[in-house]
Amino acid sequence: MSVKYVPVQWNRFKWGYDAVLLAGMAVFLWAFLRIDAAVLGHAREVSGPIRNARAFGACAFAMMTIILCIGPLARLDARFLPLLYNRRHFGVLTAAVALSHASLILNWYFAFSPAERYQTVLFANTSYAGGVAGFPFETFGIFALLALLILAATSHDFWLAFLTPPVWKGLHYLIYPAYAAVVAHVAWGALLDRGSGTFTWVVFAGALGVVVLHLIAALKDRRGVRPETSDWIDAGDPATIAEGRARIVILPSGDRVAIFRHQGQLSAISNACAHQNGPLGEGRIIDCLVTCPWHGFQYEPRTGRAPPPFTEMVPTFALRIVAGRVQVDPTTAPPGTPQAPVPIPGAVTA
Amino acid sequence: MSAAAAILALVRTWLWIGAGVAALFLTIGIGRIDANARNAFVFRTLLVPGILLIWPLVLWRWWCIERGSPWIARYRPPSAHGAAAVAMAILVLAALGLSLGARQDWPAGFEPRRLADAAP
Repeated sequence: MSVKYVPVQWNRFKWGYDAVLLAGMAVFLWAFLRIDAAVLGHAREVSGPIRNARAFGACAFAMMTIILCIGPLARLDARFLPLLYNRRHFGVLTAAVALSHASLILNWYFAFSPAERYQTVLFANTSYAGGVAGFPFETFGIFALLALLILAATSHDFWLAFLTPPVWKGLHYLIYPAYAAVVAHVAWGALLDRGSGTFTWVVFAGALGVVVLHLIAALKDRRGVRPETSDWIDAGDPATIAEGRARIVILPSGDRVAIFRHQGQLSAISNACAHQNGPLGEGRIIDCLVTCPWHGFQYEPRTGRAPPPFTEMVPTFALRIVAGRVQVDPTTAPPGTPQAPVPIPGAVTA
Repeated sequence: MSAAAAILALVRTWLWIGAGVAALFLTIGIGRIDANARNAFVFRTLLVPGILLIWPLVLWRWWCIERGSPWIARYRPPSAHGAAAVAMAILVLAALGLSLGARQDWPAGFEPRRLADAAP
């Protein structure tokens, strides 16, 4: 949460997460450099610098694939949410690995030209109209690297507050074209060699896994229907909302409202967390506070305010019960506006 | 000047302007627009790479905040995840499919030789 910015907000979980990340990366690189070339699908032995570059490139691809699987997995099954918690560190480390790959490539394939190496990579192959075989696949890699660097460089919480979560998330949509570019970079480069058997299967399995998971998660998100009225919105039977949990309702504006049940009473706040626009309605109430499932930011359900000394606030909404149904006023109240909680008929209140 | 040299000159100019924006924003602007950044200096060094890369966006947001931007904009997350996922899926499948049709075998009977060995 906010108060004063620090370079990195560490806690025990993050230390553990990062330790596992670094260990996994080290094991991957060690295995890639030590395992026999034939097992990896290299038909011919390659020199040390090339193998180093391939190791870091393969590691970056694997890390991006895992990162892109975490989001839809967490949408489909809450047990994957802990992986989402520190995904930004995962992303920064991936950018560093990808940068190492680019550096190794530049210092080998493009280092022995009389021209500057950064120029050489741009003009060494310009057959953009020559088909897939021979296409300058380095261009895809350059684009993906640039995207990863932008994402890593804007990962600090300041950028979220400064750009606003919607702009920040919009910027971070770059991960989608970046991953497609990485797949093209690998597929139109290393995979064009029929001798790269094992590597081909691994790349296809990873890329298709990402595609399938994202499509399933997108289908799940399409279930919500946006009403077309400006009147109070029906949100169903209040008794069916579990204690400490929420029901998410979509307003005519497209905004989502999370209606929480706490101690037999209902309160409605924006579904978008002030931190990273995480889905508050998929979280639960802990210690009388709505807790975001992504990073644990907390809000008082009646006011939408974070407990002191934190300063985050989310918009609130008025509720009413009519004929045994809960209804939401679609007018958004400014962040932190107190709303009277609505008792559920027949429910036990504290 | 070649196209490659022109692109690199453009990149360098972009980064130099970004350095200027970073110097201005991190010394004057950041304290004006974010109370949590006042008297917090170490973290500012982490912002330099981001400002170098996206300085036009930084200038735009700085201007918006100085003018006072509407609060509602903070709570409307982009809802294009589905479209982005479909677009990514199409691009990934296209890249993989096209590569399958262009795969090549190593030339039969050809063994690589060091250029130094091949010289007369």
